[in-house]
Amino acid sequence: MEFAIGIYLALASALFGIGAIGFLLRRNALIQLMSIELMLNAVNVLLVAFNRVHPENMAGQVFAFFVIAIAAAEAAVGLAIVISLFRLKQTVETDSADELRY
Amino acid sequence: MNAWLLVAPLGVLAFAGLGIMLIDAFSPGRAELAGVTTTALLMAGLISVVALLSGVDPGELPRSLRAFIAVDHAGLYFDVVICAGAALSALLAGGYLKEHHLERGEYYVLLIFSALGAMILARAVDLITLFIGLETMSLGVYCMIAYRRTSIRATEGALKYFLLGSFAAAILLFGTALIYGATGHTDLAGIGNVLAAGGADARLVLLALALIVVGLAFKVSAVPFHMWTPDAYEGAPTPTTTFMAVAVKTAGFAIMLRMLITAFGDPLSASPETGWPPLIAGIAILSMIYGNVAGLAQTSVKRMLAYSSIAHAGYILVAVAVSYAAREQAIASVLYYLLAYTVSNVLAFGSLILLGSRGKEAVTYEDLAGAGRRHPLAALPLVIGVLSLMGFPPTAGFFAKYYVLTTALSIGGGMVWVAIILVLSSALGAYYYLKVIVFLFMKEPQAGAPKAVPMRSGYVAFALVLAGYFVIKMGVTPEPYLRMAVDAAQSFIS
Amino acid sequence: MFWEYLPVFVMLLVAVLVAVGLFVLTSSVGPKKMTPEKAIPYEGGSETTGAEGLRLSVKFFLTAILFVVFDIEAVFLYPWAGLFSRLGWIGLVEMLVFLSVLGVTLAYAWKKGAFEWEK
Repeated sequence: MEFAIGIYLALASALFGIGAIGFLLRRNALIQLMSIELMLNAVNVLLVAFNRVHPENMAGQVFAFFVIAIAAAEAAVGLAIVISLFRLKQTVETDSADELRY
Repeated sequence: MNAWLLVAPLGVLAFAGLGIMLIDAFSPGRAELAGVTTTALLMAGLISVVALLSGVDPGELPRSLRAFIAVDHAGLYFDVVICAGAALSALLAGGYLKEHHLERGEYYVLLIFSALGAMILARAVDLITLFIGLETMSLGVYCMIAYRRTSIRATEGALKYFLLGSFAAAILLFGTALIYGATGHTDLAGIGNVLAAGGADARLVLLALALIVVGLAFKVSAVPFHMWTPDAYEGAPTPTTTFMAVAVKTAGFAIMLRMLITAFGDPLSASPETGWPPLIAGIAILSMIYGNVAGLAQTSVKRMLAYSSIAHAGYILVAVAVSYAAREQAIASVLYYLLAYTVSNVLAFGSLILLGSRGKEAVTYEDLAGAGRRHPLAALPLVIGVLSLMGFPPTAGFFAKYYVLTTALSIGGGMVWVAIILVLSSALGAYYYLKVIVFLFMKEPQAGAPKAVPMRSGYVAFALVLAGYFVIKMGVTPEPYLRMAVDAAQSFIS
Repeated sequence: MFWEYLPVFVMLLVAVLVAVGLFVLTSSVGPKKMTPEKAIPYEGGSETTGAEGLRLSVKFFLTAILFVVFDIEAVFLYPWAGLFSRLGWIGLVEMLVFLSVLGVTLAYAWKKGAFEWEK
């Protein structure tokens, strides 16, 4: 059976697009964090699908492993920053982060 | 066995980072961590210098290592610049954190691992190493900005930088995944070979190239991806700002050069009409104009330096944009610029730390008023620093700009106009640099306003003397440093 | 094919039966007496003052973050375990280095009191 990369490309692009739009439109830091995770997972879909097209080595799948691990570290740091903002301002809306203006 | 010298700097930092973590956990407050951190970073930098001068054959290293980490002279050169920047930031932190009662061990751990990440990023020859290095560096920097947890400004700056930075990293990552799909390679050289042979879908490649350039432009704070810069620079503790301005920027430009030259060096991607050179030149023009114009309106010196860093990113991008043609010269001028910019910036930010004591930082022009007349010795490094950032001879900054300018002019054509914009915009920027000197020597603080008193810290003084020495030295005798840069640039091309 | 995997299916069946059986058993055998007091949402003995959004202590976040970060590292252990015999001694040493780095971070988090519920 022919491996149809187009479907996976479309799926990954859709996921990535949803994540990007969510990031740009929502103003809740936690939801923006989730949107970024969605974008990273779209990349994982893409990497694993492309590995089927280029089966000479496992580069794509290995790459996906690293993306998963780093995404977790990123989420941890992000949550920590959001929590410390919440402690100071009692909100996680990014619009309320307006202390720094010139 | 000698060949291991080429990767030893990375190992030294990894060990030092873990060691400092253990010291901090098991006997907190015992060791002078700023000193330990600086020593480790200087040692790593020194090993790189030795490896640069001794000319070790990298062929003895296992192939599995060389496939992921560059062991060329350019990599070692970036090690030197990043280690110097990080070591000087650690020295500044040693004075600053004590003064502001923030001295805790984790700052140095974060600093050292961020520096390690920056070095890995600058040496990345594979997309996987690129991503690991990028995130190791960035995650540490996010934490270092949010370090002062009681400060709303610091937390806000960190959140903005974190959200936008992760967004940009995701875009970069999508680009790298596409280029992997188009070529079947994750190593930059392999990608370059496939692209040069014309074996990839051109649309996919151009899309990937655009996404990657966006992601990297974000990291070096170029317009229009600069929005986070002033907020993050202002909110962060000043040693963190210094680290961001020097090490993060150096690593960002290093990987940009590697990407554009090694992976996207084929005639189609590097075409001066439709490839990355006009794209980069456009970003450079926007950054130069915006950085210098927006910098004029600032009342905070720290924020002004953030806009100055946007403008400097623009100057460096001019040299990157012409690296498709005048390869060696253009790359060498980028490398020289990064070293000069590192020492000049440490001098400027370090002086701001020095001039603010008793828990209050000197961040606005008003804070500096009259400080030069009251404490001429403490104001001297700030004067040299801003003169170098301005590009005034005989300082490091002058030759850095001079080399970029001559490289751009040697290409001719449209680049002449870019060079003219460079000169005009930096003349505009001279206003806000000179304003610092005017406030230092010709203004008096308003009645009742607190007067800046220099802090007493051996660490800060040592950092300023070191940075000041190199700013002057590189301005008076630039040849040895330029030779080093040219040598490193050659290893890029071969 | 099917017979080869029969023990697995048997085990699956037993596991499901035990889980469901225990639920049924406890809810059918145990005594049930509903009083008006029991129907009130419990709040420290005093009268309920109204619905408050579920607010979790920040301690949960810290534990969750630590769990995610350490847990995800297992992603590198699986491929290594699959190729364990082929990677030989070098693979073993590399994994030990990786694990000892994790060990240092664990010791750091422990010593800094990240695992203490009551501070």
